[in-house]
Amino acid sequence: MAEKAPDAFDAAVREHQAMVYSIAYHFLQDPSAAEELAQEVFLELYRHWHEMQSQQHRLFWLRQVASRRCIDQARRRKLRRHVSLEEAAEPFTWMPAADPVLKRYIEQLLGKLDEQPRLIVILRYQEGMEPAEIADLLEMPVATVKSHLQRSLALLRRKVSLAAPKETS
Amino acid sequence: MMDFEDQLRRALERKEPSPDFAARVVARATRPRRWMRWFNPRVWASAGMAASLLVGALGLEMERRQRARQQGEVARAQLIQAMQITSTQLDKIQKKVQGALR
Repeated sequence: MAEKAPDAFDAAVREHQAMVYSIAYHFLQDPSAAEELAQEVFLELYRHWHEMQSQQHRLFWLRQVASRRCIDQARRRKLRRHVSLEEAAEPFTWMPAADPVLKRYIEQLLGKLDEQPRLIVILRYQEGMEPAEIADLLEMPVATVKSHLQRSLALLRRKVSLAAPKETS
Repeated sequence: MMDFEDQLRRALERKEPSPDFAARVVARATRPRRWMRWFNPRVWASAGMAASLLVGALGLEMERRQRARQQGEVARAQLIQAMQITSTQLDKIQKKVQGALR
């Protein structure tokens, strides 16, 4: 990682932009805020470029900085979170054939989770990280990560199943 | 029916930012920061040249004023001397006139 930006930095941005942007996008649910946050993460990477020991280290660092900034931003903005997931209303109609609708609905439900569980779900299902890796990244016990995951999954599953029409045979 | 965790994975698929995202990030990262612009050698060379010109002009002006003051002092001294000579001559003439009148 001794090579100096901007060429190597440009390549790194292109390689990881979807990951960083998606963490921010799924967490904040605001495309322009997500781009701004992702930009700040990469600018910080540029400032710490010489500290990167390997590509693996850079990947870990980017995920960690993106996660921290998401939490910070959410705390500052309170993310217009008026209702908790438990209180969130189901949609009036359900369109099983229209997968994008389900996708959007799940995204909306995710946005109603608390900050840490939301981030854990994103890292688990967007990034495919194991609970131990998430625990390492967020500096918390693995058991906490697992319990957040179980609880969040149960809540999301219940909300989605309540919204879906009952099978009629 | 699709497994719920698979649905979650699909809902959380990675998305790409706007097409010019990387270019904007690189441009911002490589743009010199405001305070760094002060370390530009050209800025410092220009500032140094301007300061030299200013100091030079001030020096010339001070020298001109000094010379004018010295010339003024010389002229004043000469005027005082001329007045003293005139006064002495007038005294002599006055004494001669008084002697003639007696």
